Amino acid sequence: MPRDISRRAVIAGALAAAPLAAPRAQRGTMIRWWYHFDNPTATPDALVQRFEQANPGIRIQAERIPWGGGADYDNRLYASVVANNAPDAAMVKLQNLTRLLEMDALAPLDRWVDAWPGRTDIADAMWALHRSPDGKRHYVPVQYVVLYLYCRQDWFTQANLPLPANFDQFLAAAKALTGGERWGFGMRGGAGGHDHWASFALGGGASFEKGGLVTPQALAANRWFVGLGREHRVFPPSAPADGFRQVIDNMKAGRTAMTIHHVGSATELVGALGDAIIAVPVPRGPGGRGWTAFGDGSNAVFAQGRNQEAAWRWISFLSAGEANVVFNQLSGQLPVTASGQRAWTGHPERFIRASSESVPLMATYPQSPKTTDWTRTVWPQTTQRALLGQTEPDEMMRVFERHFHG
Amino acid sequence: MSQARLRPGSATPWLLLAPALAAVSFIVLLPVAQTVWLSLHRAILTRPRDRPFIGLDNYAALLADPLFWESLRHSLVWVVATVALQFALGFTAALLLNRSFWWRSAARALIVVPWALPSVIIGLTWSWMLDFNLGVANELLLRSGILSESVAWLARPDTAMPAVILALVWQGFPFFAVTLLAGLQAIPAEQYEAATVDGAGSWRCFIHVTLPGLAGVIATTLLLRMIWVANSLDVILVMTGGGPGTATHTLPLYAFLKAWSGLDFGYGSALAVVLTLLLLGVVIAYALRAGERA
Amino acid sequence: MRLRRFLGTEVPVLLILAFALAPWLWMILSSVRPERDWTTRPLAIMPATLTLSHHIELLQRTTFLQHMLDSLVVAVGAVTAGLLLALPAAYAFSRFRFRGRSTLRISFLIVNMFPVVLLVLPLFVLLRQMGLLDTYFALIAGHATFTLPFAVWLLTSYTDSIPVELDEAAMVDGATRVQALRLVVLPLMLPGIVAVALYLFIASWNEYLFALMLAGRDVRTVTVALQMFIGENEMRWGLLTAGGTLVALPAVVLFLFAQKRLVGGLTGGAVKG
Repeated sequence: MPRDISRRAVIAGALAAAPLAAPRAQRGTMIRWWYHFDNPTATPDALVQRFEQANPGIRIQAERIPWGGGADYDNRLYASVVANNAPDAAMVKLQNLTRLLEMDALAPLDRWVDAWPGRTDIADAMWALHRSPDGKRHYVPVQYVVLYLYCRQDWFTQANLPLPANFDQFLAAAKALTGGERWGFGMRGGAGGHDHWASFALGGGASFEKGGLVTPQALAANRWFVGLGREHRVFPPSAPADGFRQVIDNMKAGRTAMTIHHVGSATELVGALGDAIIAVPVPRGPGGRGWTAFGDGSNAVFAQGRNQEAAWRWISFLSAGEANVVFNQLSGQLPVTASGQRAWTGHPERFIRASSESVPLMATYPQSPKTTDWTRTVWPQTTQRALLGQTEPDEMMRVFERHFHG
Repeated sequence: MSQARLRPGSATPWLLLAPALAAVSFIVLLPVAQTVWLSLHRAILTRPRDRPFIGLDNYAALLADPLFWESLRHSLVWVVATVALQFALGFTAALLLNRSFWWRSAARALIVVPWALPSVIIGLTWSWMLDFNLGVANELLLRSGILSESVAWLARPDTAMPAVILALVWQGFPFFAVTLLAGLQAIPAEQYEAATVDGAGSWRCFIHVTLPGLAGVIATTLLLRMIWVANSLDVILVMTGGGPGTATHTLPLYAFLKAWSGLDFGYGSALAVVLTLLLLGVVIAYALRAGERA
Repeated sequence: MRLRRFLGTEVPVLLILAFALAPWLWMILSSVRPERDWTTRPLAIMPATLTLSHHIELLQRTTFLQHMLDSLVVAVGAVTAGLLLALPAAYAFSRFRFRGRSTLRISFLIVNMFPVVLLVLPLFVLLRQMGLLDTYFALIAGHATFTLPFAVWLLTSYTDSIPVELDEAAMVDGATRVQALRLVVLPLMLPGIVAVALYLFIASWNEYLFALMLAGRDVRTVTVALQMFIGENEMRWGLLTAGGTLVALPAVVLFLFAQKRLVGGLTGGAVKG
């Protein structure tokens, strides 16, 4: 212990002396920003250059962090906050929000956002989705996607089936298109597959409010969903373990008729299937209710940073105008600015249309520190057991209810 | 075998051990101590100010946790099957690579390929080879008529564990091949010559010269490998994430998920401590049986 | 005679090598296949068209080679540091009997019984306080220390196989203990040292957790670099398989040279198994 203290004293002394060594005005501020892009050859260098030219005195050190299914990125983020080594700004997801707030890791941005001209280019609904539980603003959205339903239009036409607008049509189509080595719906049972389940369970009447997962309606909706796999067998046998890679590959290989994903995979699917692949909003449940996952992406400023205003300038730059369009060309998602969306040509048009038609159904998961554990561990484990018949569907919902509400 | 001996009370061994002890104490002991301490608290990573001391409550909860016992069972199966198969294959390879044939150097170098690959590559490649739709394993088994339809190896609880065991056996057998091969070099040729002169065939040479000569190295490598496999979770994490359901949950994987997914470092640390104590028990039992020698 | 050797030795070796190399060869085959061919059915074992585009992209448009170099520096450092720390320790355990020897050996091993995933956070905080994050030193120190117990146990075991009478004989002839160690014991330990060095190299080369958490920007190893090819919505199989092909090579090449030392110690030449 004494060793630690003396070392800390030395470091503190050095830090205290540093400003004396170099006047701050000439040195400029250095902002550390963490990001992750899917495309390993995409770099934000051009954006950094443009920003630095317009903001002399601020230098951006952009550091790419491995995504690792989300776990690696998150773990590094939390560890750095714990060790007092957080970046000045970083790309974050809504599922990090409550955890970061619990750690007092984020800086509130209201005073800057309210005075920001770029604020109006982002829809009010978008801002509302990103507001923190305490009413303040900590996140600035920079990208988004909406999940929709991919369909093999050629198979539907051949079998004379309507594209599914509700659950009944969905079930009929899935059953009709299952047979031989084809399955109606490529369900994602591995981590990340909760989005598939949610469209049917929550669209069918369940909710994350206290008690909302175990109402008779919720239990029925979940039973119907699990029944798709166990009774109607419209999921491939590999469904319990399938991740995003498998469901997309199954579509490309012509093994499944439908699956749920978003515009990020559109180019790849068109490359393999051409005009045969289309998208529609996810089917609505009884009563016309629908639910689809909102794939978010924001930037936040960290409270440990000593140059919060400069960090704000960087992240607001990324969420405005031309820069936001370029950013999303790099990240492969959709721009958050209304102007960017209007001009967007990054994906085939029919998928953009399906995305915007899905916006009314768009929703997020509960703002709770338990959500990440649920999406990463509790949901996959419990659902896999239900699909394999090891757990009853009703018990599955009770496990979820206990997880969130004790 | 060597019988070491020396004047007791000599400071020489401690001087020789000092650098290693210092390195380990500084870098490892402090984190270990901190983790053990953490296991006695309720410690959620994102609530740094809410850290009540709860004594052995985490351990009590652990003993009542069915998933702990399930993970322990899986760990036992995992360790015994993996190490036994790795050893069998590795030992065979070591014996073969000790003989002379013209391409021996190349064979020895190539055998380390599985061992030299990072876990993420191993996990992804095996997942892909075992894929239900696009996997080469199903394809070959279908074509040769062994299977009549594809098997979803990683999605079925009865085949998921064998699948990850296969991947780990593949990854780890070169460890035994190389370490046992090195051990074989210490057996003097004279002993083989003497045995052959006495009329022993190759099997008896093996039993009476090779095995005794290698016994120490075999025991050590088995022990070390057992500890390593018991603690490994990388490949399972990539291939199944612990699933389907909890079919491939091992103890370290469970500890990892509790700590880094649930952010419950108190409980995760307790699981880690229990795993360590179990392994310590095995090592102590081994040391007692082997007497002072090993 | 040659046929017996062929059937009794070379064929089994070929079979084992086939098992060892098949997945890697599958990876190599995939890395020269254009991406669209990976999802076509029926599955083609041999690629219908060959392409080097993945390898070219890997080498020219990513910084992969740079990271192989980072990994190499860290691994060589870890092997050097590991051997320097472990050799004296192994000699001490093997050649000396002293109080606490057994307990010490076992306590040493506790280091490796503990799941590293839980130790990384305190270690991260410790290194951050020391200002050593994202340095070669941090990774080398981390790798060397965590592989030390295994290295010491293995080396002790190899040293035990060398009869202590040889030390004594040398010292009777007038050599000091150090000279006995250097001139008699060490040469005989060479096969063991090679095996342990390979173990240390591979352990460091494949290590991901420390490389991810304790470094990443100035020092990025190849395991972290490979993770960059796995994204949220996209997995670059071409780059992953091309990278996976390359990443196994350094260890193979190093062992190709080092394995010459794996010959019978006392008399040299091949030992009949």
